[in-house]
Amino acid sequence: MVALWRPILREAQVSAVGLTGDMVSFAKEMPLGEKTRLPVLGVARFSTPRRRIDPDKGKSWLRRALPIVAAHRWMFVASLSASFVGLVLQVEIPQLLGSDAIDKALVPAVAARRTRSSGLVLGHYSILLAHYVWIVVALGALAGLCGYVSRRFLLSTAYRIEFDLRYLIYEHLTEMSFSFYDRVQSGQLISRANSDIRSTQTYLTFAPAILVQCLVAVVAFTYMLSINVRLALVAMCAMPLIYFASVKMRHELFPVSWLIQARLADVATIVDENVNGVRVVKSFAAEDRQLGELARAATRLRWTYVKDADIRAAFTPLVQNLGQLGMAFVLLLGGYLVIGQELQVGTIVTFSFWIVMLQAPFQMLGMLIMLGQRASASAQRVYEILDEPPGIVDRPGAVELVDCRGEVTFESVSFSYTDGGPSVLDSFDLRLEPGDTVALVGRTGAGKTTVGRLIDRFYDVTAGVVRVDGHDVRDVTLTSLRATVGIVADEPFLFSVSIRDNIAYGRPDADFADVEAAARAAGADEFIRELSSGYDTVVGERGYTLSGGQRQRIAIARTLLVNPRILILDDSTSAIDVQVEKEIHRSLRKLMTGRTTLIIAHRLSTISLADRVVLIDGGRVVAQGTHVELLRDVPLYSEVLAQDDSSTSEVVNR
Amino acid sequence: MSMGFGGGWAGGGGGGAASNPGGGLPFSGVPSEMQAGVNRLLAGEPAHDYPDVRFTHHVSLQERRQLTLRGLLGRHWHLVVDAVVLVVVLSVASQVGPELISYAINHGMVHPDLAVVEVVAGVYLAVTALSAVTQWAMVRVTGRLAAQVMYDLRVRIFTHLQRLGLDFYTSEKGGVVMSRMTSDVENLQQLLQDGLAQLVVQGLTMVVIAVVLFLINVELAAITVLIVVPILALGSIWFQAASIRAYAKVRDGIAAVLADLSENLQGMRVVVSHNRQARNRVHHRNVLGDYREAYDRTAEINAIYGPGSQLLGYLAQAALLAFGGSMVIHGTLSIGALAAFFLYLNRFTGPIQLLAQQYTVFQQGHASIRKLRTLLELEPTVQESADAVDLPPAAGKITFEMVGFGYGPTETVLNDVNLVISPGETVAFVGPTGAGKSTAAKLVTRFYDPTSGSVLIDGHDLREVTLFSLRSQIGVVPQEPFLFAGTVRRNLTFGRPDATDNEVWEALRAVGLADVVERLPEGLDTEVHERGQSLSSGERQLLALARAFMAAPRVLVLDEATSNLDLQSETKVEAALDALLKGRTAILIAHRLSTAMRADRIVVIDDGRVVESGSHFELIETGGRYAEMFATWQADVQGKVDDPSIPLQAETVDGSSTTTAIEQCGSS
Repeated sequence: MVALWRPILREAQVSAVGLTGDMVSFAKEMPLGEKTRLPVLGVARFSTPRRRIDPDKGKSWLRRALPIVAAHRWMFVASLSASFVGLVLQVEIPQLLGSDAIDKALVPAVAARRTRSSGLVLGHYSILLAHYVWIVVALGALAGLCGYVSRRFLLSTAYRIEFDLRYLIYEHLTEMSFSFYDRVQSGQLISRANSDIRSTQTYLTFAPAILVQCLVAVVAFTYMLSINVRLALVAMCAMPLIYFASVKMRHELFPVSWLIQARLADVATIVDENVNGVRVVKSFAAEDRQLGELARAATRLRWTYVKDADIRAAFTPLVQNLGQLGMAFVLLLGGYLVIGQELQVGTIVTFSFWIVMLQAPFQMLGMLIMLGQRASASAQRVYEILDEPPGIVDRPGAVELVDCRGEVTFESVSFSYTDGGPSVLDSFDLRLEPGDTVALVGRTGAGKTTVGRLIDRFYDVTAGVVRVDGHDVRDVTLTSLRATVGIVADEPFLFSVSIRDNIAYGRPDADFADVEAAARAAGADEFIRELSSGYDTVVGERGYTLSGGQRQRIAIARTLLVNPRILILDDSTSAIDVQVEKEIHRSLRKLMTGRTTLIIAHRLSTISLADRVVLIDGGRVVAQGTHVELLRDVPLYSEVLAQDDSSTSEVVNR
Repeated sequence: MSMGFGGGWAGGGGGGAASNPGGGLPFSGVPSEMQAGVNRLLAGEPAHDYPDVRFTHHVSLQERRQLTLRGLLGRHWHLVVDAVVLVVVLSVASQVGPELISYAINHGMVHPDLAVVEVVAGVYLAVTALSAVTQWAMVRVTGRLAAQVMYDLRVRIFTHLQRLGLDFYTSEKGGVVMSRMTSDVENLQQLLQDGLAQLVVQGLTMVVIAVVLFLINVELAAITVLIVVPILALGSIWFQAASIRAYAKVRDGIAAVLADLSENLQGMRVVVSHNRQARNRVHHRNVLGDYREAYDRTAEINAIYGPGSQLLGYLAQAALLAFGGSMVIHGTLSIGALAAFFLYLNRFTGPIQLLAQQYTVFQQGHASIRKLRTLLELEPTVQESADAVDLPPAAGKITFEMVGFGYGPTETVLNDVNLVISPGETVAFVGPTGAGKSTAAKLVTRFYDPTSGSVLIDGHDLREVTLFSLRSQIGVVPQEPFLFAGTVRRNLTFGRPDATDNEVWEALRAVGLADVVERLPEGLDTEVHERGQSLSSGERQLLALARAFMAAPRVLVLDEATSNLDLQSETKVEAALDALLKGRTAILIAHRLSTAMRADRIVVIDDGRVVESGSHFELIETGGRYAEMFATWQADVQGKVDDPSIPLQAETVDGSSTTTAIEQCGSS
């Protein structure tokens, strides 16, 4: 890597001779190239997911998700097995209490008392009773342990699956092309992806758990059948009804709960507007109307809540009481059988335990169906993101861009942002020699910003070639290309970390001295020091909102610290007031020596930094030359400047 | 390549900017698979008979009462009475079952009697039906009660918010106000809809079961109840405390995950151009991992509590079997009674667990009520006096009489200000930042009341007229044009909802925005907040001017309404102002002297006092503060032209705009 930067290093040392003040120290402290490396990885405390979603789009959503679940199979299987054992024990214990303890120890004991048997016989039943008591204690303890293991592992599996899905989505999103981000709204993407991952994960982990519970229902039913077929059938008669009722209930409730969410959002919107627009509301004396609007939204919300209550009222009693129907029949038939000596009373107790216990799986089975439908739709949306091919990747055999001189050429480049959309660049030709400083001027929408983005390969050209040092940008690795090209955008994005970390974003291991030097060069040091926590001030926290100009200066410092060979300034001082801009220009002018610089500018003062001005219009270069030449010869140039130059009087006041 | 993002992500709902309980994320719309169900619901929605809620600045007696849960419920006492009756019936009816089984065993099976069994089974069925019907009624009643109370609360809080003055909105963060109206109110929903009733049902159930157990057998009841209740209660308290802590961590965790994700997506260009993907992935994994660990802690707590209380239940049953069984053997207890004990005990642990859960809901609800109470007890700083009269159609004469004002008790912003603005006059307030220009203007609209002295309109003290009549005759155009979500039309007619389309177009023409709106895809029905913002900031400001124009106020206050505009828009706005100010009293607060020069009279405010007053030329001649400011400003404009790095012709470009400004001032 050092070799890559050696020529620049030499040039920088040469050009540093003539520097003064801040710039000298900056240039000395960070000789070009020396510290520019690829960012070092932070400390990873968690490993990457072991498996991915099956890329085969032909498979069903569940089978595609299988590898993710399989990656955690041991934990998952352990949980399900423990769950199964625990549930079998739960079925077993009522049997012990009823059919065993009551029927085999207590009923005969009562009978023995009635026949006035000896104390010895009663003692025998006491020993038998104690025996059952200890079995209940042992099985109870085992059931508790199984319960712990199954829950702990089930939930852990769930959270691991969620981790994997979230990470895979994130990883994939970092590989997406900019055209993807042009198309989607990130806020909605996040909020939807969040709930979709949740519902997919819930289904993947809880569906098997619920199925295990249902399996136990089968076991319990088998027990019942083995005790008494007729009684078993009667006891279970209501269970299918519980299932149907709970499916129906979920089916009815889900839309209502979504409607409630939508209407809560409507109410919140009205409140939000009245908080933010309070001056307008008050000055138009519109309180009454706003209140009316809220009252209407609240009325609609109230209706939805009442609807929700009605649906719950219709189904909850069914779902919770249908089991008791079976119990009434068990009582009747059971009583008949006991009287007919075909059954003992303990069995009635055992059955009534089971009926209560078996209600839950049937209720949950209903939920499972709904969860499945939601999860399927959610998973499809998650897969939609994962199936989107990354737009811009390294070509096989892409080479590192080394020893870059900084020559940039556009050879009849055409480009449009969307397939078949309007072309932004049309047979665009441009050549920047190493060390050139060129200003790109044109009307809004002429394609200036696009030119910059194509050099850094944010997008691929539709036709033609963009070359850096003669290499097609598609033939070099993205990492090396982007380490070579630095872009400062007009509305720079800052992260909500400290200002220091923001400046060091491209070089997280930079010394503080380097960060400071870059900030000084960008005219940011002074205002940063005035903030109460200086460089440690976290952007966006506690009202530390930086002005547009301040953000731009931090963004310039951020790019300067990376020290790119090719620098693109995309209207990046537009919000900085003229006085400060002058200072920045003074340092930029020094920094630009030896670098290839493309300046996209509106202001005359910014344009004056360039050796050459390129005027573009309609996606082509229409004229090139010095500012004076263009002003003299090309009427469009003065027109564009007049249109855009809004800096004439107001910037001074800011 | 083509993905269904259009339908998939865009979603339906209208609540773009609003928050919802989903972790601070915007509501992302109803998912497509639910849309059909939602539509079905909507089809069944009746035309609402919207209540006629009127806003007054006067606080009614009822609103003066302190906000309490009892007070909220009291308004719907008939529903409360219904709910109480139903709750009691349900608690008793649902616990009759085991007693019936016990009776059937003792009197129908141990001593065989088929008739008893048949009757008991019939009663069992009837009781089950009764509790089902009771439950049905209860859910309906509590649901309605909750919906009613929530409606009352929303309207009451919103009314109060509308009464509070600007001082409240500047001192309180918007987010705090929002969360009072959203999450605090929604917290009560759960409590009222389900929580309170459950709290009572579960509490009563426990009492009923305990009483029944003691009636069956005191000794056995004492042994079992006294073992189970304290241990489970202690365990539940531990569980609640631990899970509140653990879930707070989970919430922090998911907030961090979403913040990191959202930041990376928004700053994707920066991430990519700085080659940070690999490093950021590691970081995201760490954030996700912390979130997972926070969740694992909740798994641990749940895995201990759930099976733990199950285990306690088994141990209690074992104890019951040991003691009860030996009592049966020794003839001191019937088998039926033991069976009842088993069944009741099985039903006893559930309510304790549920009670602990409901108690948390109850506590959260109470905390919300306290916060809402504090909000409702704030007195509005600007109040309408009880004998305020409607301001008759005003000529527009504004008088400041010895006005003093400060935002806090110690700070003085205005000091003995005396000023008379004649009807139809345009006056510009100029002066350094913080001199009190905006404050003086805010007193005219009565956003604040003066601390001393008085402000009058047509000779009426502002405090003696109703706020509605005053403000509907005074228009304000603030620096940042605030537009409401919705269409261009909705925004324009904000001050006059009954305006016709012709009047709307007239206003648009007056401010020179008609051609812009004509070019919008949906004309007047274009949404102003749509993605990609269809209007530029200049156009938004023009829209705000047109809105003020529509309301046809007698007095107009422009609070730096032109300071954020570029040159082109500014020229347009200034032309619009000419139309807007014609025949009206106007106060312009201006940063730019080019705007100030347009006024009939310039009032220089410094350090809370009027230091100079007169026309542009008068003040220049006097050679005071204004002349000084004007000289500095001119030098600034000139300085631009003098930048040595810019050759010759640039001066023409800059110079011409200076000329225009001076010409304009000459002509006004």
